Amino acid sequence: MTLSLPDRPGQLLKALEPIAKNGGNIISIVHDRNKVSGEYALVSLIADFPSKESFRETRRELEGIGISVVKSEEVVAKEDLTVIVIGRFNLDKIVGRGLRIIDVELSNPSSEKPCMKLHVEVPKEAVKGFYNLLHELAEKEKALIITPV
Amino acid sequence: MKLLLAGFGFIGKNFIRAVNEKITLLKSVDRDFKVVGVATSQGVLYSSRGLDVDKLSRLEKASQYGEEFEFGGSVKEFLEEGDADIIVVATPTNIETGEPGLTYIRTALKNGVDVVTADKGPLVLEFWELTRLAERNGCYLMYEATVAAALPIFSLYRECLQADRIIRISGILNGTTNYILSKMFFEGTSFELSLKEAQERGYAEKDPSYDIDGIDAACKVVILGNAIMGKKLRFKDVKRRGIRDVTQEAVELAKRSGYAIKLVGVVDDEPEVSPRLVPLRHPLCVHGNLNAVHFETDLAKEITIIGYGAGKETVSAVLNDVLSILKKRVIR
Repeated sequence: MTLSLPDRPGQLLKALEPIAKNGGNIISIVHDRNKVSGEYALVSLIADFPSKESFRETRRELEGIGISVVKSEEVVAKEDLTVIVIGRFNLDKIVGRGLRIIDVELSNPSSEKPCMKLHVEVPKEAVKGFYNLLHELAEKEKALIITPV
Repeated sequence: MKLLLAGFGFIGKNFIRAVNEKITLLKSVDRDFKVVGVATSQGVLYSSRGLDVDKLSRLEKASQYGEEFEFGGSVKEFLEEGDADIIVVATPTNIETGEPGLTYIRTALKNGVDVVTADKGPLVLEFWELTRLAERNGCYLMYEATVAAALPIFSLYRECLQADRIIRISGILNGTTNYILSKMFFEGTSFELSLKEAQERGYAEKDPSYDIDGIDAACKVVILGNAIMGKKLRFKDVKRRGIRDVTQEAVELAKRSGYAIKLVGVVDDEPEVSPRLVPLRHPLCVHGNLNAVHFETDLAKEITIIGYGAGKETVSAVLNDVLSILKKRVIR
């Protein structure tokens, strides 16, 4: 999002507070001194938020403290998931569906009941679909999928 | 009020012991309170003056009481003749037929007798029929002990969450599977060895499928869904997967990632019972043979209750139901 800040010391710090408070993780920030228009400076930043709500709440809070949001684009919320699979399971079938595999741990891979811990990052909206896919594949392979509560 | 107890097994006997222990409390609510009968599969023990609960609480079999025991006596006749005001159903659970508890409850309600049941079979099969029957006949039908035994789930919902909309209920509803999984978690033993120990300690039956295949937990999901969330659930509607395939390696992998594997029953749009990863700091993460039930509601947000889900602690729920009915009837 691009913010228009009063060109005074301390304004950038003030703008970052609502972002941090709502769980935003700043990926990049550009404060371009050449783009000062009148008494305002433009700041562009990219941040990850835990949910759409937290992003919208940040916008409301920024505007509430007199910082206008000139431009904004919603981020896609992601969820960090750990799943355990007992039995044979082909990981290839879940790759490339918007998820990012963070790590995989295998236990007893050559036994009849191998066990795998899968740590993935999934867009929040795709979590249900991801679980459905896992259960569908597990049923075909007669594996057991254990998902978080 | 005159109480008839149906079933003199583990729960029945412990119920009588608790009545004996709490007789002053019961009499303070209803000075005419007495246990007039005990029905077993062999016959009925009856005394219109009231049985000696102290004597009864020391017996292994109701037939040892004396000549008041009539072999072959029928509970049905007993209820139809108006010899009881309240029946405590502590019969063994049968989720295929619901019998003998189902017939006892139907007969009681049709004859205006209040019911307290610890037998979940009749409720799993015919919750709505029995609820309507109770309403039509102006009777109380209470069943606190049927889900997570001593935990006051239905009382909590009825008395303390009257304005709340229940969004989801999840719980560890079976103590045997929790004991097995906890043993695998803490001691690193295999499923087979943990099950064997549970059997040796009397926590699991010789045929453990009722517990480990999630049948018992699914029955409780059905009752919770119907009684608390107003669903029209039947046993077949609950997707079910037990813990037979959970390996020690899986428990270990989960543990290293900050989770415990637990058999969890969930009541929402897709009711199910399955092994789940429970974060170690989650309120549902209880160990040993404890049960835990977690409510998600619109106002209170989250409430969890934890306690003993089997064993003689169950009589706490049964006796509380009896006392609730006595209080209501005496006020009238």
